[in-house]
Amino acid sequence: MSEEELKSAIERGVEAATATVQRPGRLLAAVPNAAAVTALILLKARGFEHLSAISCTDWIEEEQFELVYHLWSYQDRIHVMLKTRLPRANPWTVTAAPLFPHAQTYEREIHEMYGVHFDGNPRLTPFLLDHWRGPPPMRRDFNTRDHVRERFGIEERIP
Amino acid sequence: MRELELYFGPQHVGMVGNFGIVLTVEGDTVVRARSNPGYLHRGFEKLMEYRTYMQNFPLVCRLNVMDPDPEEMVYAMAVEELAGLTVPPRAHYIRTIVLEMSRINSHLFWLWGFGNLLGFDTIGQWAMGDRDYFLDCFEMLCGGRVYHTYIWPGGVRRDLPDGFQDKLRAALDNLERMLPDYDEVFFNNRIFADRTRGIASFTREEAVSMGLTGANLRATGARVDVRREEPYAAYADLDFEVPTMDAGDSYSRAVVIRREIDQSISIIRQALEKMPAGPAWKKTPNPFKWRVRPGEAYAKIESARGEDGMYLVSDGSDKPRRAFVRGPSYPAAILMLEKLLEGASLSDVGHIMLSLNIAAPEVDR
Repeated sequence: MSEEELKSAIERGVEAATATVQRPGRLLAAVPNAAAVTALILLKARGFEHLSAISCTDWIEEEQFELVYHLWSYQDRIHVMLKTRLPRANPWTVTAAPLFPHAQTYEREIHEMYGVHFDGNPRLTPFLLDHWRGPPPMRRDFNTRDHVRERFGIEERIP
Repeated sequence: MRELELYFGPQHVGMVGNFGIVLTVEGDTVVRARSNPGYLHRGFEKLMEYRTYMQNFPLVCRLNVMDPDPEEMVYAMAVEELAGLTVPPRAHYIRTIVLEMSRINSHLFWLWGFGNLLGFDTIGQWAMGDRDYFLDCFEMLCGGRVYHTYIWPGGVRRDLPDGFQDKLRAALDNLERMLPDYDEVFFNNRIFADRTRGIASFTREEAVSMGLTGANLRATGARVDVRREEPYAAYADLDFEVPTMDAGDSYSRAVVIRREIDQSISIIRQALEKMPAGPAWKKTPNPFKWRVRPGEAYAKIESARGEDGMYLVSDGSDKPRRAFVRGPSYPAAILMLEKLLEGASLSDVGHIMLSLNIAAPEVDR
């Protein structure tokens, strides 16, 4: 399947989806949050069996988080970046773990770092951070320097 | 029998790297395993959002201590794609050489850990000794032995110094002379085969569903390699094999890694032969005023452990909006490792972890 065929397959198969061919071997697709799992099922059925990663970008100006599912087809050699936006207040979506088991771990990290809740993920437990009680630290409004100043009192120690 | 909880790492003689596994054991058998990462979490992805594109180069190589050059390469590729930079042909060849040197380094380092955990001390000392000749080459190249900050957007930092090629050829000759001894002492050793055959095996389908790539996937018979699927640097012009094995067990993974060392030596020799003359870098904009146009790019390469990816988002400012790192150890170290350790013998825990070639800094970032 070529990039163009895949683009039309996504646009036909998923409601309100838009797709663009970025360059040979790279396809960008944007779907509404409610259709994200439908799009993942469609892509998996078309040979996109390798979930490279799930990443999250904080678009604080637009009050949204953007989840990006990176999928690769060994057969067609196309990398799809499937994007979906969530509201920044009370972000919530459905887990992809039944389709791709190791999605669990990526979702666990996004839950810890951005505070996105994944419904159906059985393991949204602390992951990389140690006894963390503050706000999710990868959000854009979390300032690392202010945190260090408050927590460790750098300015008091270094004259 | 009574179940006991055992903290395997980060301070445990059987653990290589700053990584922990919480084991529930019954006698000598592991009942449950829970990976416990985070000991190397330095928040690099967050720090990269505060730094300019150039300032991030000293950070990205630290994403993987054993195999730092692929991280520089994948970041440079993502920046080049976003900024629309092209790379001169000579730089492609130099990058290929450096990446393969890094792969050999990483595999030799792995051999040290893996050999030690199986009780083969000699092979580990030999591997670390032979690795040092390559570190000497890196020192000559850029001044650093472990971290190099050598691959930059637009090429490499500077051309190869005089005498570098001879030094590198000597290191390769030495390693090639030693490899038959490695085989005799370790890879053809009956004890190695008995300890690893049939241990922690999985099929291609399981590996793909768990997101495994690299030697872990190739050990199940899948001939996949990013160098073949999406050739970068000079790999399209070079002739190399993608070694595979079929059983998908600890033994197969080790043999795949061993055979990759041969391929890397061959690739470096070919690249040294074919390397064209010309500039080794292209002038980049002033790093203090460099604004990269808005967009996003996913770059990926084959590191020593598998698919190494960088998802870079630019909002048009002088700093990345988001830099997401896809480390190949990440899927292997959490779910897959926990699954493989269930029912394993306590004496196999360390070598099962190393057979997946897990690097803790890639998990934590």
